[in-house]
Amino acid sequence: MTQTDTDNSTNAPISVKPVIRVVDLVKRFSGRAVLDGINLAVHKGETIVIMGGSGCGKSTLLRHMIGSLFPEEGRVELLGRNLNELDEPDLNALRLRFGILFQSGALFNSMTVGENVALPLREHTNLDEQTIDIMVTIKLEQVGLREAADLMPAEISGGMKKRAGLARAIALDPEILFYDEPSAGLDPVTSAEIDQLVMDLSGKLGVTSVVVTHEMDSAFRIADRMAMLDRGKMIKIAPRSEFEAIRDGQATGDEGTDLIRQFLRGDSEGPITARRLSTGYEEDILEAAWEE
Amino acid sequence: MTETGNPIQNVRWLDAEKTVVVVEAAGEIDLHRSAAFQEALLEPLKKHPQRMIVDMTGVSYMDSSGVASLVKLLSRVRRDKINLRLAGLTPRVRNVFEITRLDTVFELYPSLQEAIDS
Amino acid sequence: MSDHAAQRNFVEAVGARVLGGVCYLGGITILLGRAVSVSRATLARSSGRDALIVQMVRVGVRSVGIVCLVQIFIGVILALQLAPPLEPWGQVEMIANIIGIAGFRMLGPILTAVVLSGFAGASIAAELGTMVVAEEIEALQAHALNPVRFLIVPRLLATFVMMILLTIIANWMIAIGGYVTALAVLDPEVSEGYWSLMRDQLRLRDFASGLIMAGVFGVLISLIACYEGLRVRGGAEGVGKATTMTVVYSIVSIVLAAGVFTAIFYVFGF
Repeated sequence: MTQTDTDNSTNAPISVKPVIRVVDLVKRFSGRAVLDGINLAVHKGETIVIMGGSGCGKSTLLRHMIGSLFPEEGRVELLGRNLNELDEPDLNALRLRFGILFQSGALFNSMTVGENVALPLREHTNLDEQTIDIMVTIKLEQVGLREAADLMPAEISGGMKKRAGLARAIALDPEILFYDEPSAGLDPVTSAEIDQLVMDLSGKLGVTSVVVTHEMDSAFRIADRMAMLDRGKMIKIAPRSEFEAIRDGQATGDEGTDLIRQFLRGDSEGPITARRLSTGYEEDILEAAWEE
Repeated sequence: MTETGNPIQNVRWLDAEKTVVVVEAAGEIDLHRSAAFQEALLEPLKKHPQRMIVDMTGVSYMDSSGVASLVKLLSRVRRDKINLRLAGLTPRVRNVFEITRLDTVFELYPSLQEAIDS
Repeated sequence: MSDHAAQRNFVEAVGARVLGGVCYLGGITILLGRAVSVSRATLARSSGRDALIVQMVRVGVRSVGIVCLVQIFIGVILALQLAPPLEPWGQVEMIANIIGIAGFRMLGPILTAVVLSGFAGASIAAELGTMVVAEEIEALQAHALNPVRFLIVPRLLATFVMMILLTIIANWMIAIGGYVTALAVLDPEVSEGYWSLMRDQLRLRDFASGLIMAGVFGVLISLIACYEGLRVRGGAEGVGKATTMTVVYSIVSIVLAAGVFTAIFYVFGF
């Protein structure tokens, strides 16, 4: 069954309107372009993993897709709506249709785990308390935290916070889920559990998933397609199998491909490190010696 | 975009003694319609049937609020010693039960006929 | 040449400061406007009203003890410092009039505001700053929950209301401090005439002007605290800076506002 799902999403017909579209997006922070002409389309039900080293702009890209940052140029379309053109009420209506798992879980510290999950339901639906309680129990069971409902966020571990954050993100049964570094800082077992949940949500419920990560094990487990960001530019978007081929193949001599290969393999030598080495270390240190 | 019609299309009693009731649900049961769904489900219980079958053949989509509504119903019928069966779940709806790990809590039947016969 | 450069640097620095100050005022004004525009939405929901009560307890109850302590001592100090210079004129009993005016019109509201900016202001800034760092503010927005409606309005209203209530308590604490001192240290006739002299001296406008100022101080403290908290960037260091700046800016703005209001009251004979 998983097989057919995967096939469905990777070979999604071009004519189907993408759920998320990023078009020629440019973002500058104090004049410097952190995102430089990004294009990306995500189709219904697929899981796309956006990778890249620290500071490559992947978190910034995610923040544009959820409408907490807005681009200088270009646009983001979510479920057919251009985020640039939405006013606050429309943006809020759209926000109810997607969920976000923040890096730290971002639980509200003044509420219990259960209240955190209940909050979107209490604020945005008119369901009665009993139904909300049942839903909270269901969501917490899904992430394996049912017994933690009455604990405060300060009383639980980082991994549990993340899972609780996921339970809150899925409280309103969103159509799209964004994950910001879902497995960063987690032990391998918890990380694998979260990966499984990501796969279940997309496989069984057809949720579209956008995952930003630099954890390669997790990326290769969950991705239908992968996208590689480097210094604000999208250097490759392709099905997982292509990235697997690059990872397992030989160095090609093509800089872009070798850069991806080094990143996927976590090698200490390659274009990424070569770039760092060629930044004038020799000149700098000799200049420093002349200063006297 | 969101349906506004009654999520319960039809309620019929299978026998003159009113022991078995079949409730036919339809459409999308989501956050907006769950409240109405719950209310309509609780209505036939007033006549104290022995068995209630919810025919879900026509339900194209259900989210966790719909599942929660059925859980609420289940707790009510268990208290009143009424047998509850869910019939004709589409694969999509069945997945919602699976992912919430409630597929073993409810009595699920592939079709209405099987729910009536067994 | 270098003189010119120094002058230009100085002018630039002053210009930057002024510009920064204007931006800050603008930011705070915008925050106030947004808070006012959603305050009705906050109060319409029971969750919003609950949050308001939680904040009122947090702002008020935690500070009431220290406000009382500080203000009683202010009363004591005023009585002890005023008595000797009044002595040669045979007017020591006039401390009641002076303590009444100084306490109700100025020291009650101002010192309560200073205490509150250290207690409530700093803790609000630290709390909101921590929430920014922990992505909680972003999470609220992502769940289509307006942080201003959810967080700012309860804190703003709570500080406003509690500032006024605490000032009422503070005023009486100053008066009591003066009375106790008169009773213990000064001539018996001073304490005997104390309350009636104070009652004769004080007019409704003396109470009112102090409480108007108290309300303004409450809004200033909470606005600055919320603004500083929400604009925290970069981890624990940013939070520490926000709390410090909250106290500094609050106290400066309290004194400036007191000056402005006193001048206005003076001009209009209020």
